[in-house]
Amino acid sequence: MSTFSASRYTTEYQAIAATLPGQALVWLKELRADALEKFSAHGFPSPREEEWRYTNVSVIEKKLFATVSRETPLPKLQVVDAEWLKSFQLEDTWSVVLIDGHFSAEFSDLDGLPETVSVMGMADALTKQPELLETYLGRAVNNTEHGFIAFNTAWFTDGLFVHVPAKQVLEKPIQVLHIVTQSDVMAITRNVIIIDDMAEARIIESFAGVGDNNYLTAAVTEVFVGRNADHSLYKMQSESEKAYHFGGIYIKQAQDARFTHHNFAFGGLLARSDIHVDLDQASECELNGLYLGVNRQHIDNHTRIYHLKPHASSREIYKGVLGDRARGVFQGRVIVAEDAQKTDSQMNNRNLLLSNEAEADTKPQLEIYADDVKCGHGVTVGQLDEKSIFYLQSRCIDEETARNMLTFAFANEMVDKIKIKSLHDKVLEQVLVRFPQEGVEKSWL
Amino acid sequence: MSASTQEINNLINQDYKQGFVTVLETETFAPGLDEEVIHRLSKVKNEPEFMLEYRLKAFRHWQTMRSPEWAFVKFDPIDYQAISYYSAPKRKEDGPKSLDEIDPQVLEAYKKLGIPLDEQERLAGVAVDAVFDSVSVATTFKGKLKDAGVIFCPISEALRDHPDLIKQYLGSVVPHTDNYFAALNAAVFTDGSFVYIPKGVRCPMELSTYFRINAANTGQFERTLIIADEGSHVSYLEGCTAPMRDENQLHAAVVELVAMKDATIKYSTVQNWYPGDKEGKGGIYNFVTKRADCRGDNSKVSWTQVETGSAITWKYPSCILTGDNAVGEFYSVALTNNYQQADTGTKMIHIGKNTRSTIISKGISAGKGQNTYRGLVKVLKSAAYARNYTQCDSLLVGDKCGAHTFPYVEVKQPSAQVEHEATTSKISEDQLFFCQQRGLSAEDAVSMIVNGFCKAVFKELPMEFAVEAQALLGLSLEGSVG
Repeated sequence: MSTFSASRYTTEYQAIAATLPGQALVWLKELRADALEKFSAHGFPSPREEEWRYTNVSVIEKKLFATVSRETPLPKLQVVDAEWLKSFQLEDTWSVVLIDGHFSAEFSDLDGLPETVSVMGMADALTKQPELLETYLGRAVNNTEHGFIAFNTAWFTDGLFVHVPAKQVLEKPIQVLHIVTQSDVMAITRNVIIIDDMAEARIIESFAGVGDNNYLTAAVTEVFVGRNADHSLYKMQSESEKAYHFGGIYIKQAQDARFTHHNFAFGGLLARSDIHVDLDQASECELNGLYLGVNRQHIDNHTRIYHLKPHASSREIYKGVLGDRARGVFQGRVIVAEDAQKTDSQMNNRNLLLSNEAEADTKPQLEIYADDVKCGHGVTVGQLDEKSIFYLQSRCIDEETARNMLTFAFANEMVDKIKIKSLHDKVLEQVLVRFPQEGVEKSWL
Repeated sequence: MSASTQEINNLINQDYKQGFVTVLETETFAPGLDEEVIHRLSKVKNEPEFMLEYRLKAFRHWQTMRSPEWAFVKFDPIDYQAISYYSAPKRKEDGPKSLDEIDPQVLEAYKKLGIPLDEQERLAGVAVDAVFDSVSVATTFKGKLKDAGVIFCPISEALRDHPDLIKQYLGSVVPHTDNYFAALNAAVFTDGSFVYIPKGVRCPMELSTYFRINAANTGQFERTLIIADEGSHVSYLEGCTAPMRDENQLHAAVVELVAMKDATIKYSTVQNWYPGDKEGKGGIYNFVTKRADCRGDNSKVSWTQVETGSAITWKYPSCILTGDNAVGEFYSVALTNNYQQADTGTKMIHIGKNTRSTIISKGISAGKGQNTYRGLVKVLKSAAYARNYTQCDSLLVGDKCGAHTFPYVEVKQPSAQVEHEATTSKISEDQLFFCQQRGLSAEDAVSMIVNGFCKAVFKELPMEFAVEAQALLGLSLEGSVG
């Protein structure tokens, strides 16, 4: 089944292969060829694979999305007026814009970026910094892990490249905006973020699309955090209502590195996030997530924290609010290797079901091979606390308002963890439009 | 800590006490499995025609299936043609009519195991069905149970005497198509226990089955079926042991429980199959399908298990909570030492309204053991106000072992409340130090901490079993702490 559809994509690949960036680089050609072979053999992941058991992506296979090549002018780009695009851009950031999977110099704004720091499109980086990319691209991720990674490796058209040299502290966050403007296309981007030793940087990945366009985004981001470096990565996924989204983030942390990820999964008809972290000695990572599902949305978050060395710590909280016929999936896995003594790990997943048709599937996993560890996880699926509602009612707040307030408070805990003001406000706006807000006065916020 | 290490090592080096072999004249089929073997099996057991058909149907289905690979255990593929599917102590005529007719060697074997089959010698009022390799050799207190209306007999006997009940219930909870090992079991099962508790009867004594594998190169495929009719109550215990052998032996059992309206079934297991030696050689593969169907309203099924034996344990005693207000419980202590592997847990399927389930799982890994909890809590749309509480804790003893927790939670009903909590830790130096400075030896401290860790489960066991379980745990574990 999968091989049949995969073969349609594979046949199509021959037509576009020559237009993909990095054709001059032998190592990249090999990487792509290898990935294509893997993809041809296995296709997209099937629910028969344990890590995909709650998410069926066969709709993507059935439909053949087209690659937007750099040479063909973007036919509907004029529809995207700068104003609309600006509504996604955050103030006080350096901005990189990728439209339909291609870097747009026109809309990007990198004024005042320190000279030592490289921020550019992946296609440019492959010509300007091929040696650096040879050592990093494909090193945080395993092509054979599942079909989407192989697919991305073979097909990517562009992406973001960030290199922050040692000891450099970036004053402003970098925002990378992935915009898809057309229907029936796919935007396949590969992003590489390198934060060298003792450097500090904040990066925001935003994904958005137009109206109810049906398209596919498949982004793979590889992050390398150097020794004692500090990196915060935010992801705001507000794809169009009918979009399919796959976003994989694969992080390698060096000794003493600190990494925080905030994942806000709001959009798309079918959306899946992979967040896989490898921890070295005494490194710390924090994964926060909030997923809001309405209508018929299916939102899957898959996290994996691999404690490879001793003394590392990890904290993870994912919250989900599911209304209408939405389905939320959380799969979180913590693996503690034999050497990783003194590991300290906590994982939490909380789900709120708001309707009779909504569904939550959650699968937290602990896999421990060391003995001197402190690991725990907790999961809840339920509804609002009746006592809290009663308390508010006893204070003259009607039931509906009370429910709205409590639902909002449940989600807002994750929004409040955002440390960038402009992003915080933007995310809050997104939360508010997705759920009934009567009673949640904005002035309180 | 060195003194304690030594004491502990002494303890851990204790041998598997039940590892003896009884030399008997047996009637054993040659290894191999085909339809011919099933025909013979059915004939030897003198079964009604419908059973043979059921077995053949299961066998044909089994041939189309593949051995599952999702569990967190590693083992070499099993050669099903190298196993003998029937082995029984040689009988005289139609089998023993009374205890006097049982081979004294078999009686001796059970005596060695501490399970005297002589009714008079029994202190506690526990009725025992003793299954030796492929057949049931004796069932005690049959008469007394009959007075109460309770049927407690080997399943092969039930096939002949109560075919209607068998026809109605066998395979109704675990169909022959359920999974690979259940299909195999349905095709070749040889014996096991059958219990029927009539309406409104509270079973006057605990029922118990003792399984013993004796012959080499055989597999044990037993089948247990317990039916608790409206308003009845039964407590059932199960124990098992096997001789020490270098090759692995397969034990693929199926247990089906049916609880009607207002009925309660309590099922306790102390599993102590031979776990293999210190190098991981030999031992039993314990691949078991256990499932309860809480069909009636207000029914209740409680599983309690202490898993200390077997080279590989692979079992998930489950509850299907069909009736409204049905209750499912699962209490488990699973211990893995040396090269033992366990992938065990439960499934709670909430279908009826106000159904409740509790899961308490305690895993202890020592040596190079791998211990996995795998559990599913599924709340269907119809299960309004369903409630589940799950707690699974793992204790790590030694730095070469592994403890894993894989819970699956699937909820389709907003009024349901599902909670899952898991922790993994080791016995900390601080805890040990505290106990020791209060005058306890390191040894006692460890044993106290471990027993405290398992207390929530042990208190669910019937008295006789709780004592046995604690002793077993001491035997299998202490020694790995240093």
